Amino acid sequence: MKRFNWRWLAASSLLCAMVAAAQTRPQYGGTLRVTTHATLTSLDPPDASQTDSVARRSLLLMMFDTLVAIDDNGRIQPALATSWQASSGGRRWQLRLRRGVKFDDGTPLTAEIAVSSLRAANASWNVRADADSVVIELETENAEFPAELALARNAIAKRSADGKDSGTGAFHAVEWEPGKKLALAATENYWSGRPFLDRVEIEMGKGFRDQITALELGKADVVEVPPEQLHRLSSGVHAVSSQPAELLALVFAREAASPEEKMLHEALALSIERGSIRSVLLQGAGVPAATILPNWMSGYGFVFPSDADLPRARHECEQVKATIHLIPVWSLGYDSNDPLARLLAERIALNARDAGLSLQPTSATAAEVRLTRIALSSSDPWIALSAVAAMTGATLSRSKENSAQDLYAAEEDVLASQRIIPLFHLPASYATAAGVKDFRVRPDGSWDLSNMWLGGASLGNHGQ
Amino acid sequence: MMFRRKLLAVFALTVFVSVAAVAGLVLAFTRPAFEKTEEQRTAALLAQFQREFDHQGAEVARRVETIARSEAMDRMATAINGAPGDAAPYFELAQATAESHQLDFLEFVDSRGVIISSAQSPAKFGYPKTGFEVLSSASGQGPFLKQEEKQDFTALGLFAVRASSAGDHPVYVIGGRRLDRNFLASLDPPAGMRTLLYQNRGDHFSPDLLLDASTGAAADHANQSDKFATLVTAAQRYKQPMTAVLHWSPDQADDELFHAIPLFGAGKDRPLLAILLVGNSRRQYVELKRSIRNSSLLVGGAGIVLAILLSSWAAARVTRPMEQLAAAAQDVAGGNWDTRVDVPGDDEIAQLANSFNRMTAELLTQKERLVQAERVAAWRELARRLAHELKNPLFPLQLTVENLLRAREQSPEQFDEVFRESARTLLGEISNLKTIVGRFSEFSRMPQPHLQAVEVNELLRGVAQLFQAQLQAPGRAAIVCTLELEENMPLISADPELLHRAISNLVLNAMDAMPSGGTLTLRSRSRDGRAIMEVADTGSGLTPEECARIFTPYYTSKQHGTGLGLAIVQSVISDHGGTISVQSEPGRGTTFVIELQANAAALQDAAAAKNEAGL
Repeated sequence: MKRFNWRWLAASSLLCAMVAAAQTRPQYGGTLRVTTHATLTSLDPPDASQTDSVARRSLLLMMFDTLVAIDDNGRIQPALATSWQASSGGRRWQLRLRRGVKFDDGTPLTAEIAVSSLRAANASWNVRADADSVVIELETENAEFPAELALARNAIAKRSADGKDSGTGAFHAVEWEPGKKLALAATENYWSGRPFLDRVEIEMGKGFRDQITALELGKADVVEVPPEQLHRLSSGVHAVSSQPAELLALVFAREAASPEEKMLHEALALSIERGSIRSVLLQGAGVPAATILPNWMSGYGFVFPSDADLPRARHECEQVKATIHLIPVWSLGYDSNDPLARLLAERIALNARDAGLSLQPTSATAAEVRLTRIALSSSDPWIALSAVAAMTGATLSRSKENSAQDLYAAEEDVLASQRIIPLFHLPASYATAAGVKDFRVRPDGSWDLSNMWLGGASLGNHGQ
Repeated sequence: MMFRRKLLAVFALTVFVSVAAVAGLVLAFTRPAFEKTEEQRTAALLAQFQREFDHQGAEVARRVETIARSEAMDRMATAINGAPGDAAPYFELAQATAESHQLDFLEFVDSRGVIISSAQSPAKFGYPKTGFEVLSSASGQGPFLKQEEKQDFTALGLFAVRASSAGDHPVYVIGGRRLDRNFLASLDPPAGMRTLLYQNRGDHFSPDLLLDASTGAAADHANQSDKFATLVTAAQRYKQPMTAVLHWSPDQADDELFHAIPLFGAGKDRPLLAILLVGNSRRQYVELKRSIRNSSLLVGGAGIVLAILLSSWAAARVTRPMEQLAAAAQDVAGGNWDTRVDVPGDDEIAQLANSFNRMTAELLTQKERLVQAERVAAWRELARRLAHELKNPLFPLQLTVENLLRAREQSPEQFDEVFRESARTLLGEISNLKTIVGRFSEFSRMPQPHLQAVEVNELLRGVAQLFQAQLQAPGRAAIVCTLELEENMPLISADPELLHRAISNLVLNAMDAMPSGGTLTLRSRSRDGRAIMEVADTGSGLTPEECARIFTPYYTSKQHGTGLGLAIVQSVISDHGGTISVQSEPGRGTTFVIELQANAAALQDAAAAKNEAGL
């Protein structure tokens, strides 16, 4: 009997391991093709005409950097600012800028440029440069102010005379067709390290069905997937979802004008069967919500009951009917471009009818109550709550400590006005092609392509 | 010509009535036959349409059956198996299945009547299906109509229900097609037909509930949807098929015959859910009817024209002899008795013509005999009158001569005296004889009138002026002369001297008739193209017997006179082609009336002659 050649076995095993390791090691190169339903017409971070959306945040944060960033755990991390100090009880903030950072046109980042950018985004701030620092003086104390600086609209941009914006981000724009197409190229000397991808091509204005089709046909690498469509993805498709960062809610056009009307708002909130809607219409995606902030953000979401209470809803309606003798007919507006929105609206109208309310779904722009998707603007609960409260015309009172109790009370105040009825918290979901590696999604639903790379077939198809 | 026209009219009317009667009979007999044919055609088209409608319903049932027997349905029914399960996996199944089977409505309902999945109302999952009891009982039955309530509208559909047999508890498949314009268009009615659907919601007709699949000109008619109101209301009330003709315009060819077919829903109540309106254009029928009528009119008209032409020819053939006879009779009446009518043939007209010819010949002969007899009588009368007149003067002559002879013989001493007396008597009687002979000579020498244009009123004025002095002569009772002359008297063709003499004779007679005075009236008037002159007196008048004989030669009522004056007047008037008559009653005066023709041809000849004579 021949002696078993253990050396050959060891060598072949080592070789296989090396091959396997090579396949899991990030590779430079390739073009990532992304589709989105959003239609951006401006890449200027503070442009208020643009609706805040996950897609906009994702694209801006690829091209521009903020002074600080929020990590997945909600903690403030350095970005273009390496350190920061608060004084005057949080009314004055000084942030020291990172050295050696350049814009994509080669211009170095200076405090003056940063100040100019922040002033464009926030007219009420008192911002000035101080050597290599940016000093910001606020009107009121705000201990959580750095979270504001992490918002995409506060990203640092240098505006040239021709109106073109330059950023310090990992990518810079090389082709731009507003509302249609954006092509980004990797910034070679990015201060945080060149990204693995050479190029990112984003197609805008694509419907969800078209995006799925493009993915299946190999014409897109990353596509948006509505949460209720995740179950339809074929088995070879990889899906990634964020934390529930989008609030689906009913927003009334105005405050309740009388106690009876407020009771009707409450009756409507009690009549909605969130469980069956989530189960069937959302196909199990999303989380039924009775609060504005998701539980992962606030920690107290579970306290607010989200189950329907039809008997109580009917009782409230009957009480109102006994007083004013007539239940008004409300128009329930929804986005006609969103097929889920129409179904939700019809279902909510059916639930409301069971309680004795009369809702008439309409795709018209003007409606007494509207089914709205609200992308929570930040992982910071106060910022997110403030933004939603602003939509409803409410103002938040913030204490110095901004404790969880304060947050709870503030949200309770907003909800008590019955101007907004939270329905669900939905994640931002994406499907990626097989060759897309390390595609991450931030808690707020925006993409994180900093470590993403294309491997195997995807890299071969796109090439360098 | 009047007889020809009458005959022509009779012929034409006979033909017209005959042709019209034939055309009317043709129309009367063909119309029911054509209408019956049209009804049969319409019924056939309607039956074809009904079959097509039933076929569509059967197709719906077939598709629903296919769905109920599908594997997907079996899996669902098995998974649910009567227990309230999670409908999430089947949420989109109804919509996808409806699309693949080309159904507008599709719902899966469990055995408790809870909607599992709905294509038309996806949000209704988990809700009880309205009318489930009726629907479940319709499982396995034929297609039926049902109203499907949606959020903002109500749709009408043709449904069928089948139950999936998998599992212990059936899952009901309720599918249908919407009855809308597309459905109506799919029925593919034959040419000339169109379909509308009235969705029966409410008690009163509403144009908004009327669906019409037609386009173009038919769509314009559909805009007049109020015209359907009566038919639809009748169908609603009686719930039976009804028929009505709808008039879209004054042109009957635009009419449509509509059949209203009530469509009922399922269940014991069988509610009236819709009314199917099937319209059949009457254009073909109306145009054919018009064609028949026009052809009848054309043939009839041509026949009438032909008949008129033939009638005209026939009438001419028939009436020509009659016209010839009539003309000949006129000639005879006008005095030309030597008239013949030549009519060939042996028919009654020819016989009449021959009789006419014999009559005129006979009349001519008799006229000649009469003339001869009159001439003889006239000669006899003349001889008698002459003998009478001559006898009177001759007898005194004889006595005077005998007296002379006696006196010579018996009283020679008185002979000279007797001779002188007798000579005076002889001379007087000889003078009387000479007068008598003179009058006869004058009567015999009456000249032919030389015709001229004579102005009547001027003539009468002339006569009145001539006798004015005599009328007012001293020693006699005054006679007043009055002129009653009509203005614009026509000219007459006459011999002015002879006519003057005639009028003068009448005036003299009138003067003799008024020895105690009176009024002499000279009148002129015209009538029917004739000039009338009257000489009237206020004398003692004449008896009827005297009037009858007044124009007889030698007749006189006067103690003196020859009795030829009025005869001469009559002769003059007769020579002028006129007439003279007398009107008189005892004690009321006498009027002589002269009528002369205002003869234009003679006037022209007279004028021409006058011009030639240089007058």
